[in-house]
Amino acid sequence: MHTMPILTIQAVNHLLDALKDFLDKSEAGFAMIIDRGGAVLCQHGNIAESTDPAIIAALAAGSFAATKELALRIGEEEFSALHQEGEHSQIFMCAVDNDTVLVTIFGPQTTLGLVRFYSARTVKRISAALQESRTNQRAGPMFSPQDVQSIQKLFGH
Amino acid sequence: MAIINYANKEVQFKVVYYGPALCGKTTNLAYIHGQVNDANKGELVSLATAADRTLFFDFLPLNAVIIKGFRTKFQLYTVPGQVIYNATRQLVLRSVDGIVFVADSQWEKMEENIESFKNLQDNIGRQGQTLDNIPYILQYNKRNVPNPAPVHYLEYILNNRKVRVPSFVAVATTGQGVFATLNAVSRLLLQKFAWENEQAVSKYQRAGHLPATTSLSGIAAAQSRR
Repeated sequence: MHTMPILTIQAVNHLLDALKDFLDKSEAGFAMIIDRGGAVLCQHGNIAESTDPAIIAALAAGSFAATKELALRIGEEEFSALHQEGEHSQIFMCAVDNDTVLVTIFGPQTTLGLVRFYSARTVKRISAALQESRTNQRAGPMFSPQDVQSIQKLFGH
Repeated sequence: MAIINYANKEVQFKVVYYGPALCGKTTNLAYIHGQVNDANKGELVSLATAADRTLFFDFLPLNAVIIKGFRTKFQLYTVPGQVIYNATRQLVLRSVDGIVFVADSQWEKMEENIESFKNLQDNIGRQGQTLDNIPYILQYNKRNVPNPAPVHYLEYILNNRKVRVPSFVAVATTGQGVFATLNAVSRLLLQKFAWENEQAVSKYQRAGHLPATTSLSGIAAAQSRR
């Protein structure tokens, strides 16, 4: 398993550039890079205000993981892509590497073929950016154990 | 493993509530969801059967405090407790940062508690990890049942590893102990993270590297591109 704990500003910029280019070319509405544990790494595009990307990421990671288990049961290592089609919206997920997945949401303004085509090259670009980020990651100062100790209330309730 | 995003200035943690079937994992999340301010919580998503038994997982995203400019986020998951859903539990545990093991205080559930805890250790082991390096705490739930197993007995059967972990009594249906549990696991995670971050920074500094850029101009530049 790769390590993927640190996203520097530079890494996020590279990922955003890749997503922006992907959405421009594929004409899809929204794309996000998620880790397979269900966390959002980067997102771009428009999504309904009521839709929480964190929930999309958790469900997409679960769905992708369940599909991988199905693939294993029939002798495949993994289904590298997953597509769900609704009346108005479609979702396309494809593996970036062993730790990350590209999730794309699109409507009737484009086609699955176009999304698939451009996602293939976008995945390579994302994979390269993540690889670079993994090899060059450096932790910056954040907060200390004393800072944590001094907190009275963690959650707003 | 916690994800640090310097562009958004946030840290995300994944916490999994684990335990035997019907021990109150979903009830914990439902109570938390009902109490946290709207601004600091997302929707509670439950993938459940028609009989309200967890089929895949429950999910609740929470925003916690901002520490030194970094927003801390906690993503709470539950696993399905029923024995047959072990493959699903393994999927949900992927990239877990911290665990709350919810035990059922009813005497007749002791064997299920023990089996579920063993199952947790097995599943963590499958990820190449052990409970020695993943922060976890115990919650003894359903203290309001008639004649619950004594806490010292639950401690004896569940909190008996080399290092004893914090444990909390709870009645998740009324909220008793629910936030004490959540706060404890969150603090453990933040402490561990802060300590590891300090170690990493000093290691890089000793090696003569510059720390990752966190300048305000850099952050603003990244955010303006969104």
